Amino acid sequence: MYSYFYDTFLQDRKYERDVALLETRLTDLGIMGKITRLALFRDGLEVIRDEIEEGAQTLVAVGDDATFRKAIEAVGDTRTVLGYLPMSNKSVFADLLGIPTGVAACDILSARLVQEIDVGEVNGRRFLHALECEASDAVVSCEDSFTLTIPGKASIAIRNLAFPDDAGVTDPTDGRLSLIIRQSRFSLFGKKSELSKLPFKRAHVFTDRHVNMFVDGGEKLQAKEFDIRAIPGRLRLITGKGRKF
Amino acid sequence: MAKNGGGETIVARGVRVEGDFVVEGNIVIEGEVHGTINATGDLQIGPEAKVDADIRAENAVIAGEVHGNMRINAKLDMLPSSKFSGDLAAEILSIGAGAQINGTIRMGVEEPVKPARGKRAAAVVAEEEAE
Repeated sequence: MYSYFYDTFLQDRKYERDVALLETRLTDLGIMGKITRLALFRDGLEVIRDEIEEGAQTLVAVGDDATFRKAIEAVGDTRTVLGYLPMSNKSVFADLLGIPTGVAACDILSARLVQEIDVGEVNGRRFLHALECEASDAVVSCEDSFTLTIPGKASIAIRNLAFPDDAGVTDPTDGRLSLIIRQSRFSLFGKKSELSKLPFKRAHVFTDRHVNMFVDGGEKLQAKEFDIRAIPGRLRLITGKGRKF
Repeated sequence: MAKNGGGETIVARGVRVEGDFVVEGNIVIEGEVHGTINATGDLQIGPEAKVDADIRAENAVIAGEVHGNMRINAKLDMLPSSKFSGDLAAEILSIGAGAQINGTIRMGVEEPVKPARGKRAAAVVAEEEAE
């Protein structure tokens, strides 16, 4: 059974036509299901969790990345399959998962290519994409067996699923997260960036003062200590062929 | 050197690692490491790196400074800038002109030089001996 939940911004008149087209296509494909509309004064997480408790086997987030993040949090440890119909042109998750924006996403949903993907957890908060923070004199303790000391200012990222770049490709199905540390050094020949990279299953990040840790490019956690771990194969996601892993 | 895609570990200049450093895949060290290094893949130590550790790896290319015992299952390449003190064992050894080695060298690797210092590293050695 498919259960769709629409984000609040879709109630705006400018999305009326897009939503109508979406519903028509879903009906044509025979995958229309129960629709729940999130509202300003209703706890979105609770609404989605209620749907899961009522037996929804496939939850579909209709909205933007914030909607999808809510769904990831709500799905938690259940084996519910999660789909995504992005309605915003700027969607990092849609690009990573190979899902086009708008009506075209219905075909991806219908093809139902389900993949088991790792999720990360930071101080009890789940994430799919990455964590990012700027820290100085940070210490990272990995797997309870070794520590990394990073003197000076550094940009620290913990990735599960990310776009390929100079730090390589991250595989969200390998049961590990990647710690990426970038430091800038100045010399006579100009600025040079140093890159460290380390795959891990569990790590603690300690900083000398409170820092903002950005979770999946959105919400920020403020703390001096972060407990981070990979949870292998926990999320069952519907992905497209154009996914970045 | 074997390649394993995104599984590579890099310790950049300025970063210091302490403890039992267990790595699945290849590792490149440009910074400092103190303790033990156990890599299932290949090891590369850069010219500015400082390593004070017992090392086990498949292949290795050393350009920096290493203190400790080293056991390389296949080929060890000591570049001209390398400085090594300790005992080393390798199947194939290549030493560049100017490389400094102080310690014993064993070729053929019938038995380990010495068990690594860390708990995890010692456990890995014990497991292999049991096999």
